[in-house]
Amino acid sequence: MNELKVDQYLDLKGVPCPLNFVKTKLMLEGMESGSILEVLLDDGEPITNVMASVKEEGHQILKVEKIFGYWKLIIKKT
Amino acid sequence: MQKKNHTDAELQELRTGGIIKQKQKDYFILRTRIPGGYLKADILKKYSVIAKKYGRDYVHISTRQGIEIPWIHINNIPKLLNDLKNLGILRGACGPRSRNLIACPGASVCRFGLVNTEELARKLDRVVFGKEVPKKFKVAISGCLNSCSKPQENDLGFLAQGEPEVDLSKCIGCTLCAKVCEKVCGRGKREPAIIMDENKRPVYRKENCFFEGDCVRVCPVNAWKVKKTGFAVYIGGRVGRFPKFGIKIANFVDEKQIPRIIKNAISCYNRIAQTQERFGEALEKQDIETIKKEIL
Ligand code: SF4
Ligand code: SF4
Ligand code: SF4
Repeated sequence: MNELKVDQYLDLKGVPCPLNFVKTKLMLEGMESGSILEVLLDDGEPITNVMASVKEEGHQILKVEKIFGYWKLIIKKT
Repeated sequence: MQKKNHTDAELQELRTGGIIKQKQKDYFILRTRIPGGYLKADILKKYSVIAKKYGRDYVHISTRQGIEIPWIHINNIPKLLNDLKNLGILRGACGPRSRNLIACPGASVCRFGLVNTEELARKLDRVVFGKEVPKKFKVAISGCLNSCSKPQENDLGFLAQGEPEVDLSKCIGCTLCAKVCEKVCGRGKREPAIIMDENKRPVYRKENCFFEGDCVRVCPVNAWKVKKTGFAVYIGGRVGRFPKFGIKIANFVDEKQIPRIIKNAISCYNRIAQTQERFGEALEKQDIETIKKEIL
């Protein structure tokens, strides 16, 4: 799991809810099933909301990492 | 204008059946009921037919999830009641009787929902609706702690609860559950129910839990799940002229117990209250522990 090949990358630091999720969702929609998306999100509402929403859409979370003031989320598209 | 004598039976029907005197002479408001606020789209169309045929081409949506149709002329009431029966529109209550049961959208669509309120509302309508009481009796159900249908403001309120449980073997130590528990769920109002131990493992402290499941929603690997659901029970809430919140008398009551609790609460209300008194007012003079035993 350490050698994850990231296919797409989104820096959503500073992007408020729910725009951050909308952007994540649009990106995932354009990707092939099984491919990997890395997203950077602010602490607080953004990480918790986007996490819940991505799960509801049925995607798999491979990794969650806190990096100082923000979070890195690795998502596998279903 | 033609004069018509109304029979006693007809007048009695007026009193019990959601036909409310309007301030204008000879006009009445039809109050209907929609248990839990769930209405088939086909029936909704029929409301439009009734509003055009008997009313003045509009309806008013009440705060109790009912639809009211004003401007019904007294001479049209018998015909109207007959039409309602045929169309499948349910009549509401007025006067000293229990009212339409209200519910929030619940688990079928709401991401926070812990129980399916639609099914429950349909099942409970018969138990709740139209019972004789000293003044009025309102029941509400909410699918979670967010309390969208305001169960604490009803004579009897049911608020769904879910007890979370963590499977540590799945946990990847991201700390998000502890974070939402403190910041989102508890809004910093109390010690969190989840704290991270020195190995970055969540520790659950049930005594601080609000039983609404933010931890379950946020966990990236679904290590948290809802172990059991039930209902908190509130009695004696009201708004009106002298608002008061309901008193919580139970936690995690099983869904199967709800019909019995409703029946008991209505009979308790009839026993302790004087005419025109609300349940909450009557409860002020009672020993709550005794009342709890009677209702639960
Ligand atoms: S009370 Fe909870 S379940 Fe019901 S609509 Fe509000 S948030 Fe959703
Ligand atoms: S349900 Fe309980 S443990 Fe979970 S976030 Fe809310 S208060 Fe914390
Ligand atoms: S959210 Fe899930 S993975 Fe993260 S610390 Fe809590 S239990 Fe572990």
